[in-house]
Amino acid sequence: MKAARRDWLLLCLLAAAALALPLLASDFALSLAMTCLMYVALASSWALFCGSTRYLSLATSAFFGIGAYASALLVGELPWPLVIAAGATAAALVAVAMGAAVLHLRGTYFAMLTFGMTELIMHAVTYAEKSLSGTVGRVLMTVPENLTVYLTVLGIAVLAIAASILVRRSRFGLAMAGIGADEQRAQTLGVDTRRVKVAGFALTAAFAGAVGAAMAVRWTYIDPHSVFNSFIGFQTVLIALIGGAATLWGPLVAAIVFSLLSETLRLQLPQVYMLALGVLLIVCVLWLPNGLASLRLPGRR
Amino acid sequence: MSLTAWFELLASGLITGGIYALVALGLNLQYGLMRILNIAHGEFLVLGAYLTWWIHTSFGISPLWMLPVSFLLLLAIGMLVHRLCFRRLAATAPDLDAFEARGLMVSFGMMFVVQSAVSLTWGADLRGYDYLTQPVVVGPTQFAANMLLIFGLSLAFSLALIALLRYTLLGKGVRALMQSPVGAQLVGIDTRRLHPLMFGVGLGLSGIAGCLLSMTWTISPSMGAPYTVTALIVITLGGFGSMIGALAGGLLLGVVEALGMHFTSPSLKMLLSYGVFIGVLLWRPNGLFAR
Amino acid sequence: MTTAQATGSGSGSGAGDGLLLRVRGLTVRFGGLVAVDSLSVDLSAGELVGIIGPNGAGKTTFFNAISGVQPPSSGSLAIRGREMEGSPPHHFARCGVARTFQTPRVFGDMSVAANVEFGLQFAGRERAAPALLGDAASILALIGLRGRAAEPASAITPSQQRLLEIGMALATRPSLLLLDEVAAGLTENEVEGIARLIRRLRDELGLCIVWIEHAVATLLRHVERVIVLHQGRMLADGTPAAVVANAEVVEAYLGDEMDAAPEGGNIGMAPPSE
Repeated sequence: MKAARRDWLLLCLLAAAALALPLLASDFALSLAMTCLMYVALASSWALFCGSTRYLSLATSAFFGIGAYASALLVGELPWPLVIAAGATAAALVAVAMGAAVLHLRGTYFAMLTFGMTELIMHAVTYAEKSLSGTVGRVLMTVPENLTVYLTVLGIAVLAIAASILVRRSRFGLAMAGIGADEQRAQTLGVDTRRVKVAGFALTAAFAGAVGAAMAVRWTYIDPHSVFNSFIGFQTVLIALIGGAATLWGPLVAAIVFSLLSETLRLQLPQVYMLALGVLLIVCVLWLPNGLASLRLPGRR
Repeated sequence: MSLTAWFELLASGLITGGIYALVALGLNLQYGLMRILNIAHGEFLVLGAYLTWWIHTSFGISPLWMLPVSFLLLLAIGMLVHRLCFRRLAATAPDLDAFEARGLMVSFGMMFVVQSAVSLTWGADLRGYDYLTQPVVVGPTQFAANMLLIFGLSLAFSLALIALLRYTLLGKGVRALMQSPVGAQLVGIDTRRLHPLMFGVGLGLSGIAGCLLSMTWTISPSMGAPYTVTALIVITLGGFGSMIGALAGGLLLGVVEALGMHFTSPSLKMLLSYGVFIGVLLWRPNGLFAR
Repeated sequence: MTTAQATGSGSGSGAGDGLLLRVRGLTVRFGGLVAVDSLSVDLSAGELVGIIGPNGAGKTTFFNAISGVQPPSSGSLAIRGREMEGSPPHHFARCGVARTFQTPRVFGDMSVAANVEFGLQFAGRERAAPALLGDAASILALIGLRGRAAEPASAITPSQQRLLEIGMALATRPSLLLLDEVAAGLTENEVEGIARLIRRLRDELGLCIVWIEHAVATLLRHVERVIVLHQGRMLADGTPAAVVANAEVVEAYLGDEMDAAPEGGNIGMAPPSE
């Protein structure tokens, strides 16, 4: 299939470019690229599930935080790849539990609940930390070097896009698209919607958890408030929506543009940045509900 | 535990419950009538709280004056927000699910806008002031006067809203719209005016809650989200669209939290509310009071 | 010219595998309203059954109950002997129950071919594949939408969407096909076309087809057994002729319909062949 080959080719090219970056760029540029790749991974995996099933998850921050904590607990104890895997698995397990409880509800109610779950998990972790370890935050001692972290995040981002390419053309992706189009209709045609939704949700959570585990080592000290910060989830959703949640490359393009535009503003005036993003999301939903991708393809809804 | 202690515990639960009820009523009104799930609801509570604190500490004006002021101001903001954002959504969304989803996203954006605006204007530190803190004797124990005031007022406003909906023409129009949008419009009830107004009323209630809150508790820009989530829990417990349910649910949740905090630990407060919430959802997905 | 001619009543002596659906005491309650009241019926392979009744008689609710969309409040429901109450819709689909909806529910953004392909990928996968329903192409040819295969489903006409819905249902390779008011809004010719298709499905594949229709006159011409529902209860179950002659039915429902029918008294006789 021509389209599939084009997608894989593009992915390889981008991955190669990203691989070459450490050799050519400054530390600052590398750091910027890492944030960018983080959002590529988060937004693409979010769009994978939420874009097709139209179940809007606001729980990305929860999964990110879970991954971060997994990292904080296990880094130094386990080899690095296993730490990442642990983050991904922990997040996926929580997603399965969460999903089993709330995925049978309607889309918007589900969204509210996922938002609440983030708060809940943050409080649970805070409580656990206080009573079990007597601490508020954690210090990460043995951290891998910057280049390793960069390559890890790059790897996760590439995996996220690869997963999107594969899933879109698979039966699983078709099932999710059916759920997004008309869930009850899909059920009467034989789709076990509950299982598909939980699996999709877990997949998106796994990626967020992996990213959280990787990025945690960049902050030498983490605490519940910083890693369960709802702003991470917010930016993920914003990027995915602006890029076009139902498209493959939309979130990636939006993530890159975003990271480039926002770096200075974010550091210097974080409140103004947040406010501007809030306005941007509102404007986007009101005037470009299908994201920027809908501009490039005239005639499609 | 002594009877006095029980009384104190229940009473303090009811007091916080009154605030929860107010916030939940506002959210319920917006969702039940307009299918707008306002995830930014708590942020407007924060706005009301900060406005009250600011006016009180800068100009010495009593917070009681801020009650109508917050209400009217947030009513106006609500109507503006509705006209700017949700009206367009109602016109362009292809179906109800899309409208709800987009409405949620818009309010998600609003959450960050309001929170950042508050933070920018007044800073991120905790704020507070003292108002009517002298103790008042009630039965076997005593409470700070402001606590009693808060309880009385939140109950009064909640009941006023319920009465408004039940007995006035305006209220009947709103309830008719909630039950049958098409039917109500056919008999001439004007959604174009009613929707922005009721959206504003919902926010106004949130503002009043914030104003009351500020009288006794410290406030910070990020305290809004837990209230939104609590309001959601309340309207689930009480049944979507049921006003009495929201009032009863709010008070009930306040009491459950107070009891839970006392017998386990204060930090478990949110976890307990959630436990209750998830339990209710699994047992009765349409809420406790839903018919 | 037809090969299989199932008799009118429900004892399944026609061609095919025998008893498909056994319903006993099926009741569906919504709060205080009883939509379906203690219904009992047997459906066998190869039957062409019509369901008629005034609005609110419980027809669509009945369909919802036997396709898993609406769990029954009480009663039993068995497909080929397997108890199905409380099962989710996808189970029903995998057991061979397919349905259409009153307003066509197609996947608007997907192409016509993709819509048909959908059922083949899910429920249809696990079921025996007769040549007629071998793949999307053959199903499209069957319903007459081959020329429209690449167009988005939202771009075709409503009557074509009706056909597409049937195609989507067929893609699950069902044994029992439930059609909810497929004739609504169609021209006389289009209805004849669908009736021919239905005959073909029954004759060549042994499907049991149940058809809800408001246009009673039309329906009575094309089915061999009629079930009349009224306020959730079964009022009559027999051949079109018998039902038309049934005094209770006439009183409750058919009276007005009969007067409005263009062919007056000929409605009761189902033609022996096309």
